[in-house]
Amino acid sequence: MAYQENEKGFVETMKKFTIVMLILIGIYLALPIFATALYAFSTEWNKTILPEGLTFEWIRTLFQDARFIEAFGRSVLLSGSAVFISILFIVPAIFVIVLYFPALEKWFQASVVMVYAFPGIILSVGIIRFYSGTSLPMILAVTGVYVISVLPFMYQGTRNSLRNVQGRQLMDAAELLGASKMDAFRKVLLPSVYPGLFVASLLSFSVLFGEFVLINLVVGSRFETVQIYLMAKLSTSGHIASAIVFVYIVLMGILTLVMATLTKKAKGMRHA
Amino acid sequence: MSKVVLKDVHKQYKDAHVLSGIDMNIEDGEFVTLLGPSGCGKSTILRILSGLTEATGGNVMIDGKDMKKVPPKNRQVGMVFQSYALFPNMTVYENVAFGLKMRKQPVNEIAEHVEKMINLVGLKEKKEAFPHELSGGQQQRVALARSLVVRPKVLLLDEPLSALDAQIRKHLQVELRTIQRELKMTMILVTHDQEEAMTVSDRIFVMNQGKIAQEGTPFEIYTQPKTEFVANFIGRYNVFTKEQIENLLGGKMTILAAKYAIRPESIQFQPQTSSYPIRAIAGDSIMNGNVIRTTFHADNKQFTMEQLHHQSSAFEKGTEYQLFVEPKDVIALS
Repeated sequence: MAYQENEKGFVETMKKFTIVMLILIGIYLALPIFATALYAFSTEWNKTILPEGLTFEWIRTLFQDARFIEAFGRSVLLSGSAVFISILFIVPAIFVIVLYFPALEKWFQASVVMVYAFPGIILSVGIIRFYSGTSLPMILAVTGVYVISVLPFMYQGTRNSLRNVQGRQLMDAAELLGASKMDAFRKVLLPSVYPGLFVASLLSFSVLFGEFVLINLVVGSRFETVQIYLMAKLSTSGHIASAIVFVYIVLMGILTLVMATLTKKAKGMRHA
Repeated sequence: MSKVVLKDVHKQYKDAHVLSGIDMNIEDGEFVTLLGPSGCGKSTILRILSGLTEATGGNVMIDGKDMKKVPPKNRQVGMVFQSYALFPNMTVYENVAFGLKMRKQPVNEIAEHVEKMINLVGLKEKKEAFPHELSGGQQQRVALARSLVVRPKVLLLDEPLSALDAQIRKHLQVELRTIQRELKMTMILVTHDQEEAMTVSDRIFVMNQGKIAQEGTPFEIYTQPKTEFVANFIGRYNVFTKEQIENLLGGKMTILAAKYAIRPESIQFQPQTSSYPIRAIAGDSIMNGNVIRTTFHADNKQFTMEQLHHQSSAFEKGTEYQLFVEPKDVIALS
């Protein structure tokens, strides 16, 4: 009896400790974001605890700057293209391997691990040395590396979705009902794994959108993305830099919200 | 006519022989069950019949036509999967209508057939529901309706009831048989549940290690098992060696065989004309629904006796009893 009471007391203490730790970590992580966002809307914030006034001036200035809009467009274009190419070429390969050649999955998994194994700096040096002497524009080389670097997200997302819906059986069932392989893929399999695939794509997009090392070292300011623009603004205006970070956080927040909604939807389908 | 013939069908994965020399003749409108333990190759036969898996050797004929070069979509073979494989992005109505749409049937005909089939399986109220909103039994009905609506020549059922609880499973077994009789459709069921096989089948193929161990009507399979495997798999037969049975029954066996089997329910407490007497000591009794199963020991051999609950004699553990078995109930196994 005493042992049970002791154990109960220990569990309660641990629970409280966990809650306190979570709150502290939450504050530690949220405080810089909150401060940056607040700085993006402050008139002056040098000698006081809180900003002296609030303004939309920095956000307005940011969106009036053609360089920012162009950089934003380039980031969207670069990340979007890489994800699009990945969907077009890598995802079908994942479908075929997972559904019809599962024995080959081990090679795919090895490739995924290799993507994690190479740091950005090694990749950059490798790309510069290998492609600088060729006629291939460096931006295309970077796009190619981006396509490969999202492989882990696309592979995990697609494979998990296929397993959740028992993709092979869906294909078999559709074919036995008279569908061609293409019809079965287009009308049954793709809509069934769509939420998972979309989440993987959004995740890949957000990772690429925040990428700085590779693009800066390989292409540099010749192809200014949001991250490079941010680096440039850090030394000129703290308010503008904060406004960029704020816009970036809002964009990522929207993407996370969409992903969470779709993941929830995908879970609903799992029981079928 | 939808006669199914398998002739010397083989399937091999690398060095593993999954199927060896399968011969089957299934008549039009027959309900056949492939019964066997997991991994015996029964589902592989269904996949070969449907065209989803290619046989390593042999022939598959449906309606006298060789299926070797016919793709799954053109075989007119329906299949209900163990996990139902309902399309999660479609409602019940859309799932059932899918096959007809793929066959490019007119919209009004699709609507008519789908409504009829949904009514047949009793899901009228659920036609706008998505698969994840249905119970296991309802999902199974949708899978059945989806396969039946395209009027396949042969319907293959790959353990479709195994994921359901006992009560619903029993109810659907009867329903399945009723629908099959109503539509006069050739159906091939795969199961490892011998009770299910007995309930629904016209004929049973018992399979073991990629081969057909025995085929026959449920009555033939149950009362005349040919091998020890079938005797053990299909019922709770008591299997004895020649020496054991002669010691037990106190006489020489007229039919020579390696082993002999006696059904637990054919061992009687009351003597019949010309029955063998058995002297044995009672062990534990277990009640299994309406049947009482008692273990006996004689000459270092254990066997069981089953009696219907209402006619059962109470056996006292450790007491010796005189039991009886008729010669016709001693089955010689090959």
